[in-house]
Amino acid sequence: MLWLAFKTLFHEKGRLIITLIGITISTVLALIEVAIYLGMMGNATAVIRHTDADIWIGSKNIQSFDFALPFPEHRINQVRAFSDVQWADKIILTFAFVKLADGRREQVQVIAYNPDTGVGAPWAMLEGRAEDVKGGHYMILDKTSEQRLGRLELGSQWELTFVKEHSFKLVGLSQGIKSFTTIPVMFMSYNQFQPLLADMALANHTAYIVAKLKDPAQAQAVAQALRVALRDNDVFTRDEFVYQTVMYWTVQTGMGMAFFLTAILAVLIGGAIVGQAIFAFTMEHLREYGTLKALGARNSDLYLVIFSQTVISAVIGYALGVAIIFLVRDGIEQAGVDLYVSPILLVVLFFTLLLVCLAAAYVSVRKVRMLDPVTVFKA
Amino acid sequence: MTAVLEVKEVSKVYGAGAGKVVAVDAVTLGLSKGEVLLIMGPSGSGKTTLLSIMGCILRPTSGEVRVAGKMVTTLGEEELPDIRKNHIGFVFQAFNLFPSLTAAENVELVLRLKGYDRKKIKAQALELLDKVGLVKRAGLYPADLSGGEKQRTSFARALAGDPPIILADEPTANLDSRTGREVLTLLRTLAEAAGKAIAIVSHDPKAEELAHRVVFLEDGRLKT
Ligand SMILES: Nc1ncnc2c1ncn2[C@@H]1O[C@H](COP(=O)(O)OP(=O)(O)O)[C@@H](O)[C@H]1O
Ligand SMILES: [Mg+2]
Repeated sequence: MLWLAFKTLFHEKGRLIITLIGITISTVLALIEVAIYLGMMGNATAVIRHTDADIWIGSKNIQSFDFALPFPEHRINQVRAFSDVQWADKIILTFAFVKLADGRREQVQVIAYNPDTGVGAPWAMLEGRAEDVKGGHYMILDKTSEQRLGRLELGSQWELTFVKEHSFKLVGLSQGIKSFTTIPVMFMSYNQFQPLLADMALANHTAYIVAKLKDPAQAQAVAQALRVALRDNDVFTRDEFVYQTVMYWTVQTGMGMAFFLTAILAVLIGGAIVGQAIFAFTMEHLREYGTLKALGARNSDLYLVIFSQTVISAVIGYALGVAIIFLVRDGIEQAGVDLYVSPILLVVLFFTLLLVCLAAAYVSVRKVRMLDPVTVFKA
Repeated sequence: MTAVLEVKEVSKVYGAGAGKVVAVDAVTLGLSKGEVLLIMGPSGSGKTTLLSIMGCILRPTSGEVRVAGKMVTTLGEEELPDIRKNHIGFVFQAFNLFPSLTAAENVELVLRLKGYDRKKIKAQALELLDKVGLVKRAGLYPADLSGGEKQRTSFARALAGDPPIILADEPTANLDSRTGREVLTLLRTLAEAAGKAIAIVSHDPKAEELAHRVVFLEDGRLKT
């Protein structure tokens, strides 16, 4: 019966094309929305995910990675005192302004890390090395920040405003490291940047203490013990901190949610289009289904026809949609929007779309099941 | 002669109360191998309803239907498709060909449905179309066939898989009178050649000449 499904589906090219356009458009919409959402969440949690630490300790009631408040750095000793802790390090995260060539100021997100250990360092370097920030007012900017900051030339001096003005020299370029807020990320040495905090009466403060455990499987237990020891801090395992950050941007700000809901909507609309197309198709061929029944086809044969037509349409439409995404992807990313398209996303989205399509086709199946073969004798 | 298809005291009642219609009223009828039976009667007399019951498409309200000696009225819903598939070929007034299939593919469809060897069905379909004189038109879609060609294609389809019984409801109603005669002659020739049991519903006078036996229906009742 698969044979019949193919023949009828491809015989009516007009209807097939309309169905395919529907599925393709909703695939593209859903995929773009989800990929943008995942891209944003990927950026929001990039530093956490790329830092080789099992535990993140931030200020009390911290909402997300981007909003860390300074706390005294000596608490690292309490962390190091834990026998489960292999090493602990500090990372500063704060915001400052840089002066552009034309005199305007742009906000930047400062990440100050230990260049000796590389904990919190940029993980994808285009030019220079992460350890180059050591020993002076040196910094690394991301290549993608050129859109905001203008040309980034190694060796150029940049004026940084953090309470007072300080001059930093650009010694490296990272590649594709962005913040959720799209504010340019500026990496520098912890030891060089920390004294600047003194101007805010926050001498010897840090934004994060991160720790690597001897046994990462113990992360939950160690985090719990650290919570007891560090009452003025919030302690997370790496996964918890990723989750906290994602939830903050998705639920609390609603920004991610908008993308998420649009994606779901696109999938549902796609399903509705396919369902409606398959239903109209079934209605137009009701007489043929009746004839099939009279000729001795079982209901299951007819379901096979309808469902396989649905699956064929879904597969072709989805493949076209994915192809379009890969064609336009570069253009979209050049415009500064990150698309995160992973094989898992493609698989999950396909099955979601397929499920919605099949659910919609089920309406047709019910219609055909109720169909009385006596209708075949109607003139 | 043994009847390959028998209906005994079958009735079909539609609706209830004041709107109740007795479409078929206690009809007893047998159809034998090699026989062409013509069922005549005015419009609304229950011909199509009777034929549907004979074809195991419609369940009678009461009475018995036997196909090849097997009682089908007591069979479950899931067993009836197989009875139709294995015993009965249908010919419809409106041909009911599949527009997205060529004439040959329309015949193939039934062979596929009946589980014939995929490699042989193409040749078999052509052979059947040859019997109805359509082998040259095998590759055309129904939209490109004349009415007579469509009906001949549907004969070939009804013969596919060699069912012992052929049931035809007003096979000439959509054809001009000359084509109608040709088609009926063909039907009779096929029946005799292959020893089919054929029941035709028609009020075409030409059908009377070709039938071995004629029965009349009036208000659902058989008049002999
Ligand atoms: N599905 C149905 N529901 C109700 N009444 C029906 C139905 N099918 C047929 N009838 C009635 O049964 C009677 C016989 O119909 P039918 O068998 O189609 O007659 P014929 O084929 O001889 O014209 C008619 O009065 C018709 O209105
Ligand atoms: Mg009728």
